[in-house]
Amino acid sequence: MASLRDRLWATLFASPYLAHLILLTAWPVLALAYLSFTDYDTVSDPEWVGLDNYTRLLGDEAFWSSLGNTGVFALLYVPAQTVLALVLAVALNQKIRFIPLLRGAYFVPVVSSWVVIAYVADSVFNPRTGSANTVLGWFGIDPQAWLNSPALVIPTLAAVAVWKGVGYMMVLFLAALQAIPQERYEAAMVDGGNAWHRFRHITVPGVSGTTFLVLVLSTITTLQAFEQVYVMTDGGPSGASELTVLYMYRQGFQFFQLGYAAAIAWVLFAIILLFTLVQLWLQRRWVHYA
Amino acid sequence: MPKRLAYLVLVAGAAVMLLPFLASLFNSLKTYADYIAVPPGFLPDPFEWSNWTQVWERAPFGVYAANSLLIASLAAFGNVLSSAMVGHALARMKLPARGALLTAALATMMLPTVVTIIPSFILFREFGWLDTFLPLIVPFWLATPFGIFLMRQSFLAVPKEFEEAATIDGAGPWRVFTRIHLPLVKPALATLTVFTFMSSWGAVLEPTVYLTSPDKLTLPIGVMGLRGQFVGNDQLVTAAALMSLLPILVLFLIAQRYFVRGAMAAGLKG
Repeated sequence: MASLRDRLWATLFASPYLAHLILLTAWPVLALAYLSFTDYDTVSDPEWVGLDNYTRLLGDEAFWSSLGNTGVFALLYVPAQTVLALVLAVALNQKIRFIPLLRGAYFVPVVSSWVVIAYVADSVFNPRTGSANTVLGWFGIDPQAWLNSPALVIPTLAAVAVWKGVGYMMVLFLAALQAIPQERYEAAMVDGGNAWHRFRHITVPGVSGTTFLVLVLSTITTLQAFEQVYVMTDGGPSGASELTVLYMYRQGFQFFQLGYAAAIAWVLFAIILLFTLVQLWLQRRWVHYA
Repeated sequence: MPKRLAYLVLVAGAAVMLLPFLASLFNSLKTYADYIAVPPGFLPDPFEWSNWTQVWERAPFGVYAANSLLIASLAAFGNVLSSAMVGHALARMKLPARGALLTAALATMMLPTVVTIIPSFILFREFGWLDTFLPLIVPFWLATPFGIFLMRQSFLAVPKEFEEAATIDGAGPWRVFTRIHLPLVKPALATLTVFTFMSSWGAVLEPTVYLTSPDKLTLPIGVMGLRGQFVGNDQLVTAAALMSLLPILVLFLIAQRYFVRGAMAAGLKG
């Protein structure tokens, strides 16, 4: 039985997080729930409006289009990122030289802030001076407007997001690959399976736990994506890259409709939670833990 | 995968990763006429080395850099100290309701900043903290879920004997924590330091929401603002953006393994 003194000391050590739970968890959740039922312009007191914010949300086309944009972004970004990260990790998992150097190269975009990335990406995707159009020109393809094109803005943003994030996901896959017992590959070699067979039947099942993790992490990342669009396009051209978090930010901090923004935050949180639960459920069906 | 193919994939990929940085480095050394020239040249002609010093002279770049350095350092120090304390309580001390606290930490991880930013803004406004650095620092002093899990994991791996020997010699809980246990988890402390520093240094959302005075801005926000100030001088903004990356790049080169370790821990926490 622990003495009272021991328990007091332990509570003292844990006290920063107790404060965190009150100020940065319980308060935001409760305040957000209350605010979402009010009209609040940050100057006068919140005014109770019942479900008004939520019914307004249902009929708000700009909100739905922002959700659609977020969905398209996720559909382009998540699979591309996952496949590329796995391929790079398989390549990096050989007995090759310069591993820290190569791995380091993939981490440079990871450690760069989105503001830096915005300027670096501009050297590639600037419609007039970027290198992407120069490369297209070599193949006789017309220059594109990239971030200034309503059709291409989200694919371009997704490509930049993959470029920035793939090194991070690659490291996660690398850890999983190194945990697959080498004997499995040796046994498959004896049985005469080719490289694709080994990849398909040993590597892919062997890293399925990490694949699941990468899918969850990158889906949640897209649902929360704010900094990239805020810095690179601010939702443009004409709303084509307005993602949901940016829309929420605009309602709250540019139009000062904090009640409405709180309702958007709740919907967003519910969607994030839903995705996490769906993926947890899927995980039980196809993840093979070694 | 055959080794030759592996090298090909990795080197091609590394080129895709790094060439854009090289292109913007060259862009930052061009004259404006050269910067906007069509067709674009890869190398600057001539090299305008003064671009990088002009940023310091024509914009309060030094102020932004000092603000970012102060905020990121205090955030990193606070997060390491508080997360180590909480992780220590969870791993090595007789904490009441330990399971409940662990579950709560897991749940907080699902609550993203973008969701909590509105109520946090209201809370910090009530505290009178708007347009100060406090909203960007104090939350890190209250421990982060990632930091707690990382530190708890590390403290769990420390053998009991050290602690027992020290306790027999009369050391109290604080002494055991600072003198015995903390030195044994240095890699985790380094990992959390570089990770917190990096995320604070690059943050966009929180400084945008909380800071307004021009002399309080952090580097990312300041550099974004230069776009309006240096119209017709985009090469200077590119130079400023790249300069804001330099400290993180140096930190990364020195401590690459801690960055990688942190990336793994952040991914594997779930």
